[in-house]
This record gives sequence, structure tokens and C-alpha cells, in this order.
Amino acid sequence: MVEDLLGNYFTRRRTPKLKPGLAALIAFLAVLVSGMAPARAASFTVSLDRDTITLGETATLSLKFEGGKPEQLPSSMTVSNLQLVLVGGPAHFGININGNSTTYDTFSYVVTPTQAGQFTIPALTANVGGQTLTSQPLKLTVTQPGAPPPAGGNTDSQIAFARLTLPKKEVYAGETITADLQLFYRQETQLAREPQITGAPADGFTVGKIAGGNQTAVQIGNAIYNDIPAKIALTANKTGTLNIGPVTISLVLLVPSNNRDADQFFDPFGMLRHTMQKQFTVATGTFDVNSRPLPVENTPTNFNGAVGNYTLAVTAGPTNITVGDPITLRIQIAGRGDFDALRLPDQSGWNGFKLFPPTSKVETSDPLGIEGTKTFEEIVAPQTADVRELPQISFSFFNPDDGKYHTLAQPATRLTVHSAAATPLPAIAANKNSSSENQTPQDILPIKENLGALATKSSPLVAQPAFLAAQSVPILAFLAAFIWRKRMDNLANNPRLRRQRAVAQLVRDGLNDLKKFAAANQPDEFFALLFRLLQEQLGERLDCPASAITENVIDEHPVLRGAPKMTLDALRELFQLCNQARYAPVRGAGELNSVAAKLEQTLGELQEVKA
Amino acid sequence: MNVHFTKLTASREKRRRAAAFQNAGAFVMAPALREASWTAPALWRFGIVFLALIFAGNIFAADVVADFSAANKFYAEGKFADAANAYEKILQTGAQSPALLFNDANAEFKSGHLGKAIAAYRQAEQLAPRDAELRANLAFVRNQVQGASARERFWQNWLGTLTLNEGAILTAVLFWLTFGLFAARQVRPALAPKLKGVTRIFVALTLGSAIVLGVQTANYFSSATAVVTADNVTARSGPFDDAQNAFTARDGAELSILDRREGWVQVADGAGKSGWLPAKQVAVVPGA
Repeated sequence: MVEDLLGNYFTRRRTPKLKPGLAALIAFLAVLVSGMAPARAASFTVSLDRDTITLGETATLSLKFEGGKPEQLPSSMTVSNLQLVLVGGPAHFGININGNSTTYDTFSYVVTPTQAGQFTIPALTANVGGQTLTSQPLKLTVTQPGAPPPAGGNTDSQIAFARLTLPKKEVYAGETITADLQLFYRQETQLAREPQITGAPADGFTVGKIAGGNQTAVQIGNAIYNDIPAKIALTANKTGTLNIGPVTISLVLLVPSNNRDADQFFDPFGMLRHTMQKQFTVATGTFDVNSRPLPVENTPTNFNGAVGNYTLAVTAGPTNITVGDPITLRIQIAGRGDFDALRLPDQSGWNGFKLFPPTSKVETSDPLGIEGTKTFEEIVAPQTADVRELPQISFSFFNPDDGKYHTLAQPATRLTVHSAAATPLPAIAANKNSSSENQTPQDILPIKENLGALATKSSPLVAQPAFLAAQSVPILAFLAAFIWRKRMDNLANNPRLRRQRAVAQLVRDGLNDLKKFAAANQPDEFFALLFRLLQEQLGERLDCPASAITENVIDEHPVLRGAPKMTLDALRELFQLCNQARYAPVRGAGELNSVAAKLEQTLGELQEVKA
Repeated sequence: MNVHFTKLTASREKRRRAAAFQNAGAFVMAPALREASWTAPALWRFGIVFLALIFAGNIFAADVVADFSAANKFYAEGKFADAANAYEKILQTGAQSPALLFNDANAEFKSGHLGKAIAAYRQAEQLAPRDAELRANLAFVRNQVQGASARERFWQNWLGTLTLNEGAILTAVLFWLTFGLFAARQVRPALAPKLKGVTRIFVALTLGSAIVLGVQTANYFSSATAVVTADNVTARSGPFDDAQNAFTARDGAELSILDRREGWVQVADGAGKSGWLPAKQVAVVPGA
């Protein structure tokens, strides 16, 4: 069903095919008919692309010939301080409307003014197809750069213009107002660069921040403009008649252009959009504002020039302090006004305090910086324990909205001030077990009264060579003990060495005793000991019991065969002396001493004998 | 005020004399020490010089105590800047004690110098790490500091409960005792079985404390902190005045030191940002 309907539709819409011969005939007849049509009357019109320009800019004058071509046009001409130069044309157009064919040619002149003023381009005359045609005269306004547009000017014929609007024409000195600045430029143009405010004369105003807004499109007359809004903060800084404006703005626009000479090769049919970059300087109007002085009556005593609408908030801390401790006083003034000019009012009643210069910071909540909060921070320190409170803080301002003065006040703040000697320890250190342990301390703990152990700055112990060297002492002590232990073990496992040392000790002690016996002239004890020492030393050397040693071993024992003969002779002599003493015991002390010396020498030689 | 400056000047004069006396003592003592034989006159001279040095040291300590009391008086009168200056002058003589640094930090804080206060508290903390008042004040001042700071980690705080010298002495005592046990076992082998368990415990304690001391020492020498002592200091991307801004540090910010150049310190804050700060705008505190 659907296919049938679609099939019928396309069947009905099918264009009947013409045979080639029939088509050629129809075309020939059409040309013939057009040639036989009655000739339309030629016309000549001129137009300017705009009627107001700034000196330094150019306008385009278009000459439009309909129904024929002009016989001759001058390449350039000068008309009352306007220079016209032919830059384009002819551009030939043909339009067929309702079967009526119209053709026209357009020529373009660039109009360059040589001075500012009102100019009239007179009626132009041209010969077209034997007819003499005359155009209408045109008016062109040329303004000085920075000058405002002519009052009541036809804005919809301008490429760009600016407008300044004030909220009121009556202000108070010190009052901050917001002016609206608008820049308009035609929608068919484009901004090539960001517009720049090149001048904002404001006699008697302090120009504050400028905040831009979002661009919108507005219709003015028959034209559509892009509107770039901005707000300017203005503060009246004197009384009398104040002037503001003209605010001048410089902007560069890309405007449509009819000049296609350079693009003939790439765009022979004029299909592309052609623009040219032009600089414009637009200016707003000038306004007079009456700035009134602040009323004198009912002026608060502490009024210091604040104009606007404000609120006051004051905080102070800590409030439980010692004499001399700092208290941070924060005075916040919030609202709308000129915050840069806002100053902390002079306060009274601060006799018992040391005041430090306040600091301030402004936090604004709007782009113009006229709404927000200004916070003054002042350090004050009580000088005596008699201080009981922070004095009242007050702030006065003039509100231009209701034309009245207002005074805001923060009541006095109670303080607990301790004398320096009786400072209670804050809970964090005074009583760790109390319930206030988790409380946030309000201040640092007080200073320490005692200097404590004094030391001089020095590097840490681990970096001091003496400390590091001292650590070798236990190691050396251990090593000494270890070596001693090894020697003791070695001695315990070597009986011969042990006997050697024991005999050496016995000999040392025995020689001393011999000298005593000699001094005491005790020959019996002397020789008995001498004989024993000989036995012990020989027994140790010969590795045999001392009791078994007699004089005979000197000749018989193989170990003594390698001993020096003198030593052996001395040994024999000593043995013989011992034997003789048994029979002739009486001897003098001198003889005994010489015997003891001989024994000492002989035993020393004997110790050298290899066992 | 004038009276105080006169007093300080007099104190300085006394210290100068004491130092000169000490120097003179060293000069007199040197030949005596150089003598080959310690003859009786040389020993006598050495003894006199030794006593003179002790006496000079006592004069010096007495001066410091007097200056300390004067600085405390300034503080009590609310003249915090004067107090800070007075404490600083004592510190410049080379003397230091936890109480002196603590009071100096208090005075700096009361004068509005958060960075100098934190630096002094931290130096005091290295001398008296278990001082509760000191830790409370340091925590309080740190709370006043805005912006990111590189604070100690848990293990660094744990290590910081002992000073480096206390750790060194503890380790040395354990070391001596351990080797004393070793030596005793050599001298009296019969005691070896009885000392076996004790010896093992001491060996373990010595090794543990030596490891902790090693970490503590490495932390002390390598984890130094730069405390910003000026407000809104701009850290730059290089050690040049015209280098690009890296970040801004507030007074009292504690920053890890990464590197040092002549007149510049490379630092990193707690948020991981790094940059170069002029050395004169920071106080360097060794690791805990």
C-alpha cells in the first residue's frame, strides 16, 4: 500500500523529458522575447556606508547605476575637505524578479576626510545611455577622535558607540556610586582586539575598579548591536559640581568591505565575505553631578569621614591574661562604601593599655570592591592588673541613602588580668589529670624563672672524637682479659713452664733471703738455702726432681754438657762451698755476700741453658 | 632602658675579661704542657691555671644568670621585644640551656615572630625533649602558623623523646657493661654459666640502642628543618633572585631542607612543593 502511494507520488512529480530540438527552440524564443521587451529607465543612486565617522577613519561611497553604464567616472575627486578615490568597480549584477530582468553596476569610492566637521557630498551627475542622471546629495559628519557622538545622533547608523549612565546626579561628598558604561558595536562587525578605555576624565571623583559584564545583543533602531557592559566605581571626593566624561574607548573592528581587488584571483565571484580592520575611538557623553557636603548638624564626635552603610562586629581574645600579655582585638566593619578610605576611629578609655599600631585587610564580595568587610586587627596589652575590661568600641558613619549619621557600638568586654608573679599555669601543664585536659589552650605557658643547667654550644657526643675514643676502653679491657685468660690457660696446660715460673719466683725470693742471712751472718741457713736454690734451678733445667740433684749431675747429665765451662765450674764450686760449710760453718758476712752474688750470676747463666 | 644597657655592657665586659683570662691561662699553660718532664714547678703552675679557669667559668655563669634575670624582668613588664633581644644576646655568648631557649621562644612569640619562636622551641626541645611545657608551647605556636609545613613523622617524634647525647650515653653505658661482662667471663670462667643469660640480654640491648642511635644520628645530621622567619617569603625555582616563583611560605612554616647553596636553601613543604629560599629568611634546626 505504502509502496503504491510512493509510486504514485513519484509518478506525479516526474518531470516530462523534452526533446533536444524542442528545448533549443524554447531558449531561442526566450532570448527573442527578452530583446523585444520595452527598455527600462536608467537610474543613478549614491549611498554612504555610514553617516558619521571619526577623523582618521574612512567611509565608503557607493555609486549604483541601474539600467545602464556610465560613460565616464573620475578616478578621484575632492569635495569640500573630503577626498574621494575610486577603488572598486564596476561590479555588474543581474537580477530577474517576476520575469523582469534588472541589471546594475556599482562603483565604490573611499571617502577620506581631511578635517572634522559636517560635510555634504553634493549631487553627482552621470551620463548613462544618453541620459543625464543626478543623484541626491549626502551628509557626512566627521568628529574629532575622543569626542562624543553628536547629541541625538542617529545611533543605528554608527558602527560603534559608547554610553555612560549614572544612577543619580546628586551625591554626598565621600559617597560611592556605580556608573554603567556600555560599548555598542554593530553585530556584523567583529572585535579584532579587546577594547581599551583610553580616557575617563572624572573631575572630583575617585575612579575605582572597573568590572566588565557579559556581552549581549540589543536592537537599536533598525540595527542590531553587541553590547559590552561595564561598571565603574566612582567616589565623590569633593563638594560642588563634578564632571565626568567623556569616557573614551578605543577599539579595533573587522568591518565588511566591498574592496575585492586583491581577491579577484581567489574569489572571482565574490562568494567570500571580505572584511577590513578598522580602528575606532568612541566616547560617551559628559555629565555634571552635584556633590553635596555632609550635614554638619548631628555629627557624631567620633565620626571620621566614613560614608556608606556599615555594620560593626568586634571580637577580642584572650580575655584571661597576665599583665603585659597581648590581646588581639578584631574590629570588622562590613557593608557598602569606599573601603580604602575607611579608617579605624580613634577610641578613648585605653589608659591602662599599651596599644600597637593596627593592621587592616579588606575582603570584598563584589567585583567593584565597594561591598565587603574591612577587618582591623589591633594588639593591645594591659599594663596593670587593675584593668577589668576592654573599653567600648564605637564607629560612626554617614549613610547617603537616608541622609543621616549612624553610630554603632560594641559594649565593653570583661577581662581577667593577673599580675605577672601570680600567673596560674594553664591547664595543659598545671594539671594533666583534670577535666580541662582537652581544652584548647588560649595562650603559651609562661617563661621559666630558673636558668637550669648551663651548657655551651657543642657538637653532639657522637661527633666528638674523645667520646668515640673512650668507647675503645671496654674493648681494650676485654682484649686484655681475653689475653690474660689465654695465658692462664696456657700455663695451666704446661707444667714445665709452670715449674719454670715457680722456680724463677723461688730464686728471686731466695736471693733476697740469702742477702738477709748474709747480713745477719747466719751461715748455716745461708748455705742450706743456697743448696736448695741450686737444686731447684738445676732440677727445673734438667726436668728432674730437685731432691735428686747432687754435684754429680754436673758431669753426668747430658743437658749440662752444652753449658759453658765457666758456668759448670761455678756450679761445682758452689756445691763444694755448701759441702765445706757443713764442716767449717763459721764465715764472715762479706764472704757470704760474695757467694750470694756468685750464685745469682750462676743461676742467671744456668737459666740461659737450653732445657 | 639605659640602665639595662649599661648592665649588659658591664656583663659583656666581665665576660670579655673572663675570656681574656681563659686565653691567658691557655697561653701560660701551653709551655708547661710542652715541657718534657713534669717537674714540680710545672705541675704547680698547671694547678694554678686550672683553678683560674674554673674561677673564670664561675664568673661567666654568674653573668649569664644576671642577664637571664634581667631578660625575664623585661618579659614580665611586657617588653617582649627587649626580652627577646636580651635572651638572644645571652645565646650569642655560646651559653644555652633549655630554659633560656624556652624563654627566648616565648618572647619571640609574644613579639609576633612565629618562625623565630618555633626555631627556638625546637632547639630547646633537642636539649629537653620531655619538657611538657615546652611541647605545649611549641604545639600552640604551630597552630598559629598558616600554610603547609613539613612536620616530624611518628618515628621521628619517638626518637626525639631522648636527646642525641642521652641516646649516645645510654648506648655507651650498655656497651661498657656488655664488654665488662665479657671481660668478667674471661677473668672468672667459673661465672660464665651464671652470666650467660645476663650477657645475652645486654648484647641485645646494646645492639638495639646502637641501631636507634645510628638512626637518630643520621636523622640529626640529614633531616634538618628550615623554619621560615619572615612573612610571605617567596620560594623560587632556582637559587637566584630573579628565578620564577615556586610557592609562598608564611612565617613559622617548617620546611624540609633538600640542598644548600651559598646564601640559599632548597626546601620542600608538607604539600610536596619545593623551591629555593634565601638562607637569611630561615632558621635551620637540626633533625630531632
